[in-house]
Amino acid sequence: MKQTKKVLVIALALAMAAAAFGGCSSGSGSEASKEASSASSAQTEASGSEELTDGDRIIAAAKEGKVGNWGLGNEYEILALLTKYEQEPKYLSQSFDMDGFDDGSITLASAMTYNELGLVKNSYEGGYGYGENIGIIDMNNEGVAMLEDNLFCTKEFAKANPNTVKAFVYASMQGWKYACEHPDEAAQIVYEAGSSVSSDHQAYMASEVKKLVETDTKGAAVTEYGKMDEEAMQQTLDLAKKYISLDDKTAADKLQTLTLDDIRDTSFLSSEKDFGTPEKTDVKIQLKWLPQCQFMGYYVAKAKGYYDEVGLNVDIISGGGDIGETTAVNNGTVDFGVTWVSNLISADAGGMDLVEVAQVFQRSGLVLVYKK
Amino acid sequence: MKKTKLGRNRERIETIVYPVMFGILIMVLWQTGLLHKLLHTDDYILPYPDKIINIITDNSDKIMVNVWASVEVALCGLLLGSVIGYLIAIIASAFPTYGAGGLTIVSAFNAIPIVALAPVIINWTKDVSTVAEERSMVAKILVVTVTSMAAMSVNAYRGLTELPQFSDDLMKTYAAGRLTEFVKLRLPNSLPYIFTALRVSVPGSVIGALVSEYFAEYIIGVGRQIRENILIAQYATAWAYIIVACLIGILMYVLLMIVEAIFLRKRR
Repeated sequence: MKQTKKVLVIALALAMAAAAFGGCSSGSGSEASKEASSASSAQTEASGSEELTDGDRIIAAAKEGKVGNWGLGNEYEILALLTKYEQEPKYLSQSFDMDGFDDGSITLASAMTYNELGLVKNSYEGGYGYGENIGIIDMNNEGVAMLEDNLFCTKEFAKANPNTVKAFVYASMQGWKYACEHPDEAAQIVYEAGSSVSSDHQAYMASEVKKLVETDTKGAAVTEYGKMDEEAMQQTLDLAKKYISLDDKTAADKLQTLTLDDIRDTSFLSSEKDFGTPEKTDVKIQLKWLPQCQFMGYYVAKAKGYYDEVGLNVDIISGGGDIGETTAVNNGTVDFGVTWVSNLISADAGGMDLVEVAQVFQRSGLVLVYKK
Repeated sequence: MKKTKLGRNRERIETIVYPVMFGILIMVLWQTGLLHKLLHTDDYILPYPDKIINIITDNSDKIMVNVWASVEVALCGLLLGSVIGYLIAIIASAFPTYGAGGLTIVSAFNAIPIVALAPVIINWTKDVSTVAEERSMVAKILVVTVTSMAAMSVNAYRGLTELPQFSDDLMKTYAAGRLTEFVKLRLPNSLPYIFTALRVSVPGSVIGALVSEYFAEYIIGVGRQIRENILIAQYATAWAYIIVACLIGILMYVLLMIVEAIFLRKRR
């Protein structure tokens, strides 16, 4: 016991020495941020009891260096937002839980409306139970929305199998339509298909995803499932060109030359069943994340037999961790994939030949959440 | 005598020439695309060397910033872990009854995968500093510390306890005190074992640094860049950082070999 104690004490002392050492090496930077944090706290005091505007919150959190995002290709809207408020485009790396938000090391945390926001708000299993004690800053309202979950394949595959693509898009959108009309049933279907989260959270997710699928960035209703809205797509591409920074010069140059026609093809999307026999009947779709209602349309289409109706045998492959859906589609492991438009853009800039065939989410699901 | 010297020199040259030739062969296969055929991969996942080298030269400033961040973590953690590991070994050898058991616990730490350890340590160290850059640095160093501690303590313990019988007997006939025995016999005896430990923990410290960067709050480092670029499908850039990571590991190992050669020269 004594020895272990001794060892612990020594370890602690050395760790502290290391901390001091680390502090020295980053001296100037930390001082600057300390100044910034005192400046921002002064600002908070000055505004006193008055209601803070979203802009104030963003500036204060940015000055303190407490804006969080997951990075890894999810950060562009946050970078655009920080730039909009003339702040340094830097953020803290947020883990996939909301502990950083909970313990206060992140004051403005990134959250998807259908996932993390639900965990923060609700008190079911895995939730933090903040209820109404939180506020959100919506990327759509801030004018920095970038479109997220889409449906894509390679240009080569689309060219060689136009009927398969049309049939797959048609049946998938039927699935999305049914899922949005019956979110509770959809949640149950996904839960049974091998859910990664509790059924309560799944139900919450279904109701929130429905909003993203049926409302555009301006808040107007969308009736056509999978519609590729020109304006929203263009805004996504413009922001992508500004905020995706690539070290590979060839890729960076190519990124700037991309147009909407390079990244999306509207010819496969139709509400009519106007396609011939599918060229390829066994197809696989790679999801961006674990099985959850974010992808309920595909699970519903499979469960309700929509894929069978158009003569397709579909295998849904869930993602998670570091599986790159763009890579999986590009190298032919799977035929279709779900990714964010910005990720498709950077993949195409890097030399892949991917094309979006439907845009499922019509508005950004990303918000910044803060404690009131 | 001369012949053996010549033979040894030839052996030395061979140990350098053959690996270098093999390296060149791989590079030729890689650049000509034969490697891609052998591995059934495309030039997207495995870009050609000239492209990777171009990216390294185009971004040398940015890469160096990340390299220093990773090297700093690896070296600080290595130093801290080795010192603590050695101290543990000393304590263990001073109290042999509990020592061996204590060491088992320490080496059990080594069995924890870094991917499991890093997030936990990052959560522990949240209160260390209000500046994310500093607390991330501490967290990353602690991850490397834990991973390099075990190799040192186990090896140093052997060095401190597995003494040549005649030396031990000599100490006893002189009725040497514990301190004298420690300074004159145990300490020098453990020197080669320290290097054995470092041969394991130097490459380990680089891996520990790279992996802990994955989870750190403050975004910097070669490991983080590899992950970021793979996830946004920028394989050429990711490979540039992978090559840089390899170079860090190799250079640190070569440095260790040189230091070892200097310290252990008299023993050969």
